[in-house]
Order: sequence, then C-alpha cells, then structure tokens
Amino acid sequence: MKSKKMSPQQKNEFMWGWIFILPTLIGLVILNIIPIFQTIYQSFFKTGDFGRGNKFVGLDNYMKVFADEEVWQSLINTFKYAIVEVPVSICIALVLAALLNRKMKGRTIYRTIIFLPMVTAPAAIAMVWRWVLNSKFGLINNIFGVDVQWLSDPKIAVYTLALIGVWSIIGYNMILFLAGLQEIPADYYEAATIDGATGMKSFFYITIPLLSPSIFFVCITRIISALQVFDLIFMVMDKTNPALSKTQSLVYLFYDYSFAQKNLGYGATIVVVLLILTLIITAIQMYAQKKWVFYN
Amino acid sequence: MKFKKIFCGVLAASMIMGLMGCGSEEATINTSSTPEEVTLSINIWDTYQQPGLQQILDDFTAKTGIKTELSVITWTEYWTILEAGAQGGQLPDVFWMHSNESQRYMENDMLLDITDKIAESTIIDPENYPEDIWGLYTSSDKYYAVPKDIDTIALWYNKTMFDEAGLEYPNADWTWDDMTEAARKLTKPDGSQYGVAIRNDGGQMGYYNMIYSNGGYVISEDKKKSGYDDPKSIEAMQILETWINEGLMPSLSIMAETNVEVLMQSAQIAMTIQGSWMLSSYEESEYALANIDIAELPMSKSTGERVSMFNGLGWAASASGDHTEEAWQLLEYLGSKEAQEKQAELGVTMSAYNGTSDKWATSSSFNLQAYINMMDNMIINPYSRNTFIWDSENNEILKQAYLGEKSMEEVCKEMAAQQNKVLADE
Amino acid sequence: MEKEKSKMSIFIHIILIIVSLTMLIPFCWMILTSFKTVSETMQVDPFVIFPKEWKIDAFITVMKEMNFLILYKNTLLMILFRIICCVITATLAGYAFARLNFKGKNFAFTLVLIQMMVPVQIFLIPQYLMISKMGLLNTTFALVFPGMVSAFGTFLLRQAYMSLPKDLEEAAKIDGCNIGQTFLFIMAPLTRSSMVALGIFTALFAFKDLMWPMIVNSNKDTMVLSSALAKMQGQYVTDYPELMAASLIATIPMIIIYVVFQKQFIQGIATSGGKL
Repeated sequence: MKSKKMSPQQKNEFMWGWIFILPTLIGLVILNIIPIFQTIYQSFFKTGDFGRGNKFVGLDNYMKVFADEEVWQSLINTFKYAIVEVPVSICIALVLAALLNRKMKGRTIYRTIIFLPMVTAPAAIAMVWRWVLNSKFGLINNIFGVDVQWLSDPKIAVYTLALIGVWSIIGYNMILFLAGLQEIPADYYEAATIDGATGMKSFFYITIPLLSPSIFFVCITRIISALQVFDLIFMVMDKTNPALSKTQSLVYLFYDYSFAQKNLGYGATIVVVLLILTLIITAIQMYAQKKWVFYN
Repeated sequence: MKFKKIFCGVLAASMIMGLMGCGSEEATINTSSTPEEVTLSINIWDTYQQPGLQQILDDFTAKTGIKTELSVITWTEYWTILEAGAQGGQLPDVFWMHSNESQRYMENDMLLDITDKIAESTIIDPENYPEDIWGLYTSSDKYYAVPKDIDTIALWYNKTMFDEAGLEYPNADWTWDDMTEAARKLTKPDGSQYGVAIRNDGGQMGYYNMIYSNGGYVISEDKKKSGYDDPKSIEAMQILETWINEGLMPSLSIMAETNVEVLMQSAQIAMTIQGSWMLSSYEESEYALANIDIAELPMSKSTGERVSMFNGLGWAASASGDHTEEAWQLLEYLGSKEAQEKQAELGVTMSAYNGTSDKWATSSSFNLQAYINMMDNMIINPYSRNTFIWDSENNEILKQAYLGEKSMEEVCKEMAAQQNKVLADE
Repeated sequence: MEKEKSKMSIFIHIILIIVSLTMLIPFCWMILTSFKTVSETMQVDPFVIFPKEWKIDAFITVMKEMNFLILYKNTLLMILFRIICCVITATLAGYAFARLNFKGKNFAFTLVLIQMMVPVQIFLIPQYLMISKMGLLNTTFALVFPGMVSAFGTFLLRQAYMSLPKDLEEAAKIDGCNIGQTFLFIMAPLTRSSMVALGIFTALFAFKDLMWPMIVNSNKDTMVLSSALAKMQGQYVTDYPELMAASLIATIPMIIIYVVFQKQFIQGIATSGGKL
C-alpha cells in the first residue's frame, strides 16, 4: 500500500486542488509574496537613490535597529497600544454580543449603532476625533471643563489613541461574537436556567467557553492588526506633536524611514523585525489555545 | 433538486460574467486614446492652486492643441508617487519640483535636461527670474526646471487686538525686540490670548528669518556645515526662547493640535509669521478678512537688517517621458511672461518672472504689498541634498526647547552637531 | 420574579444606551459641526454646541466642489469588482484548502498566512510600479488590482468549508460527480452566506482603503471617496463645517448598505464559525 506513486484518486485531488488554489496563489505571489521577499532582501542593503546602487551591508541594518532607541521606543508604544486596544475591545464586545443575542426591543438599532464606526471612512474618524479631543476647541474639554491634552501629552496620548482604536473596532468584534453565539444551542441556556444559573453565571460558564473558538479567532487577527497600527496614528498625530515619539508605532517608523527619509533598507529591516515578532506571538497563541479554547 | 441546479448554474454564470467584467474593464481603457493626440500628465500638490492653474493650462491647450491632465495629490503622497515613479521610469510628464528634493532627482538624471532648449528659446531668458531659484534647479551647470513662483515671508497681526491693547500696528521700523515687547502686552494671563505663535517646524515661516537677519546662518554656502552653533544664530534663537519661556506663545501641544493659522483666525494669538502661500487660507476666513492684516517682518537691532527667506517651485519634466518635446513646450509656456502674469493676476501665487508679482499684490484686500517689499532682501531657504533628513531631525531636537527641557543654546549646539553629521554623509 | 426580570432588562437597556451614546457622540458632533459657521466652530468662550442658525451652506459648497456622483460611482466600481474577484478566488481556494488533500497544500497555505502578518504599506510601491508599467494608472482596474485576491477571504472560506459534514461529498461521488462538479453544484451553494460575509468585509476594507486609491488614481475623474476626503483635509484647510459635511455625505451610503444587509452579514459569519 505504501507505493510512492499517487493513486488515481490522489492524482485527481492534486490536479483539482492546484486548479482551485492557482488563481489565489498567482495573485498572492505577484501582489504580495514577491514584495515580501524583496523587502527581506532589501534589509541587507544600504539602498541608493531610487533603488539604484544598492550596497550589501550584511547584518548592519539589524545591528543598527537593535541599537536604535527610537525603534525600542516604538516597540514599547506598539505594545502599549495593543495591550489596551485588544483586551478592552474584546471584553466590551463580548458583553455587548451576549446582551444583543437575546430577543429584545431595539436590538437591530443597537447593533447598527455599535457597528457604525466600521462603515465610516477612516479619514472622517480621524478628523472628528481630532476635533472632539482638541484641547482648546474640543467638545470633551469644554463640556467637562478640564484642560487635558488628550492627543499631545506624551504620557497619555498613546492610550487615547488606543481608546479611539477600541471605539472603532468594537462593532467588528461584536459581529464576529454574535455570529459565534448563534451556533450555541438554546437548550444549553435552558438547562442552565433550570439548574438555577443566573445571567452572570451562564455568561461565564456557558457563553465564554462555548464562544472560545471565536474569541481565539478575534484575538489572533486583532493582535496582528494592532501590531500593525498605522493609519490612526498617521492621521491623528501631527509631525510637530510633542507626543509623537511616545506614540509612533513600528509601522509608522517604517513608513517614515522608507517613504519620507528614503532609507529603504532600514525601513525594510524594521518590517522584518515586526514580521518575526508577529510570527512568535501568533505561534505562542496557537500553542496556548490548547489550554483554554474549547472545541466541540 | 432541479431548482438547486438552476441556482448553481446561475451562480456559475454570474461568476464567469464577473471575471469577464474584470477583463473588459481593462480592455476599454487601452483604447481610450488615439495615437495622434498627446495628453500630458501633470502632478501638483496644492489644491488651492488648481483652479487658477487649470485656466492657464486651458490657454496652453487652446494655443498648441496639446491636452493636459492635472492631478492634485497631497504633499506626502505626492513624493511617494514621484519616488515610485522615478524608480520605475514612470514619472508624470510634467510636475512641480521643490528644493528639498531637487538635488537627488537632478543627480540621478530623472529630470529632463532643458539647458539647450533654454539657450534656443526666445521666450525664456534666465535673466528674467531670480538667480537663486535657478540655483535650486541647476546641477553641474545644467538647468532642470523652469521657475514657477516665488514666495516670501511676512508678519500677520490682529488689528483688533492691537487696538484693544492700545498699541500701534507693526510697521517697517520694527525690530524683533519691539515685537517681543508687543507680544508681552498682547498676552493675557488667563491663556485666552497669546502674543505670538511659531511652531518648532516653522523654520522658513519663523526663526530662519530671525537667524539670517541677525547675521547668522543655518547652512554654509558650500552646504558642508551647519550654522546653528554660530553665536549670531544662537542669539537670534534666544529671542524665540524668550517667547517660549515668558509664555508669550501657546504651548507646543496647542500648536500641534491646532495649526497656527487656525489659532490666528480664531482670535487666539495676536501675531504670527506666515509665507505668502498661506494667503488662500486667510481669504476664506471672514474673521481674518475683518480683523487681520499683514506687515513687513521686523529687523534685527544689531545689524539693522530685515531678511525674508524665499523659495520657489520649479516646473520640471520627466527625462524618460514619451512626450518630452511637448512637455518642454508646456514648460516654456508656463515660464512665459504671459502665463506668469496670469498666475499672479489670478492670485494663485506670486510669480517667479521678475516684476510680474505686482499684479498679485492687488489680488486681495490684505496688505500684500508687505510680501512684495520683503523681496528687497531675500535669502534662499536653506537646503542641501538631504534637506528633509536634517530638517526633520532638527525639528525633533528643537521640541526640547519648546518643552523647557533644555536651554536654547544647548539645543542649537545639538542641532548643529546632528546636522553636520548628516551633511558629512552627503 | 417578573419584576426582577423587568428590572434586569431596564438595566441592560441602560448599559446599551450608554454604549450607543458613546458610539454616536462623534457622529452627532459631525452633524452639528456641519451646520455651523466656521467662526462658530472655533469659538471657545462661550463654547458653541448647537449652531445658532442651522446653515446648509457647507453641504452646498461641498456638493459643488466635489463631484459626489463620480466619487460614488468610482468607489462602487472598485468595491464591486473587488468583491467579485475576491469571492471567486477565495471560494475556490478555500474549498481546496479545507476539503482536498494534495501535495504542496501546507506550503501554499503558509504563504496565505504570512501575507496577513506583514503591514500592507510594504506592498504600496511594488504594486504601484506594476500598475504604472502596465500603463493603467487612473483606471478602475488600478483600484481593483491589489484587492483581486484576499488572504483573509481565503482564510474565512476555508473555515466555512471545514464546518461542512463530510458525507455530502461522498454522496456526490457515488452520483458520479467529479471534484469540480461537487464543488460547483453541491458545496459552493452551501457557503453562500459566507460569501456574502466576505463580500461585505471586502466592501468595508475597500471603502476604508486610503493610501492605494490615493496614489494610483489622483485624477478627479477616477478618484474615490476616501481619497477625496483625505485630500480635503490637506495641508492648510480650516473649514471644519465643510470637512464634516463631506464626511457625512461620504458615509451615509455605506450605513444604508449595512442596515440593508445586516442580517445576511451576521448569518454569513455565523456559518463560517470563526474558528481556527
């Protein structure tokens, strides 16, 4: 039975399999994979003007990146952002999904409102938050009569940004959780009610464990995107902002080096570092899921 | 079951249609231009200049039959596209060039060499434009762009606030010390009104003018040395330090969250220093039209000099374009007295062509004559091959002085050291 | 018991209303600002919350200055073609990754995953170069180009196919269907709702894509909504009423689409289970 030749059945699957993935694969290779390898390649070079006259420098860029305080600071900023944005948005979204999964008045309206930020152009989101949080003309400071520099105090700006991130992503997480909740059979809850479990208890003992695959999916994808945060910072933080160095993310730094300073090699190195970091974090999560994710 | 099959059939058919849809989209685009008619692609970054320039381009099309297609892209993306285009040999036919970037583009032969064409041209005579602007777009004695415009710097002030404080309006005899004195009187202790505002990135629209009028410099003539550690530069920067330390300016946070011109137009500050290109912003504000006006910059007490930084954009063409002949025709037209006069007349900007800017001065109710008067003693805005790098790093270092973390003298020396390092690598 | 239940439900409504308000305040502020005058937006003492007069000037100016019909049309074309391409390629690939066993599958799937872990900004210039070499700048094709395939979509559809029972295919095989037929006639129709979900996600991501449309289609006839908005807040714009009015006009159609498709949307994601 252990013949090296493929059986007709295997041959058949091989052929169809490749036909099916070919469009996606060709697209991915041309659009993404080649540029990724170019980036990795570039990280070993000191790039000349307009991509000409590149000079091989070995691991120089990497040595510089690891010795660069700015890179470390950006790494810390990125983590600070992710540590607030991911858990807070997941917790709030979980509670909301649990509440909105029940039959109740105004369910559709609530769901629509909470999803609203997801359908708003990012430029508009950035604009309106800049305006709402402006320390002089902003709504918040004027209504509460406080004088907080939400977006330009180096100590708090990164958390403000993370909260804007939470605000704009709750709807997305909630929809994914709602979808997951629809798979949980209603009789689980009925049984729990008979056993005397109240809302709170059933939330922790039924909803969360049964929803854990969805939570895991959201965790993985949200952490990856949080580590890549860029648009928000780019559009909200001005170049002159005194809090910029305490808020800029790794991708922001990459963008600055590659696009503004035209130092492609150095920018590429930062991206490679981020890629490795993401791979490690994702791998750890994949490993840890066995401990807490509950599959049917 | 039959229904299901029909459904699947429809689904499959719609998928195929979809694919074809994608393909046909591509096909229709290729046939859209016939070979004879030439359309030049043009990139610029300033939305405010679009309507005026479009008129000038329409004139060009009427004259030559060459069509143009004008695209406006915001500053940051503009340079991203240009960089990518240069890498791939796909630059737009005609585009704006800025002194921050011109050296790299010229040295790598990205821009069309128009030296011979200018020599033959009866329309463009280098004599008619400021020499320093040519300097921005010349490399190894070759011309790579036609001067488009010129900008100078002047002082904007709030008349109503000066009246309220019982002060005389700024005038041509003012020194920087007079400005400091006025700023003190115009600053209210409760933070509702500040005397003056200049951001850390306000070199050209701010402290550069103070440095050069005081006899200092930002970069040496040979572009090898920073001038920030020159005592005269430091002395000028210490005026700025006074403004910061005495609280005559809003905090950097406030200025970062809200641009200086917005602070000016919302009656938060009494004075600021602005470039002539900012005019369009003020023209749109009712408050500004009623309360704000322009005066010449103050002069330095020790030298008695008044200096304005100036800069000018250039119209450049792609060296690798398909229509370089037509592109040159357009450059020539854009540089002609006729087009330059029209540009000034329409209030687009001051024009590079000597003497045409007087028409610009009457295009607004603000005292634009102040900008024209500043042309009497202009110094080209400091630049080198990697202007952007040392400039943005300097702005970063200067933040420390704004935040009161370091004295201005320390900061200046730090900036000089950093800048010298970048210049040594050029 | 009943009383307690109604108390509970009031409590829940209160929570939901607070959350909804937090979500809505920025939008309310957008609406209020769009009806104000410029000087009202910049007045601090006294701070203006409601405009003195509800002025629609900002909307009129914005409508005049920006050709929203063209912007909507371009945005719609971009979204539509991206959805079509994405859904087709992702459905095919998702099926193969979930249900077929063949050499090279794991390697290919790793490539799909890696794509998700890199910031999209690194693709900007290489993709721009491709489009400009093809001479297709300022076309609908350029807008669609980077969104023709989707790693995220492939992933999502793979999850959907994984959750389907195995015996469906067995039955088809006995009926004499080959793999292609099985996919097209039996399996694909079962994941319709996931396709709808992917379609909506694609639409959202396309609508939010900012940098790419901005650099490839800078011409006013081929520009899309997001870049037109970003351009408005360019270097020295101070007219907040106009900015907010434009943002509102740009956002409303997407809200309508979402409200209409909301049910399918949630259902679509539900069948894909969101499991790894």
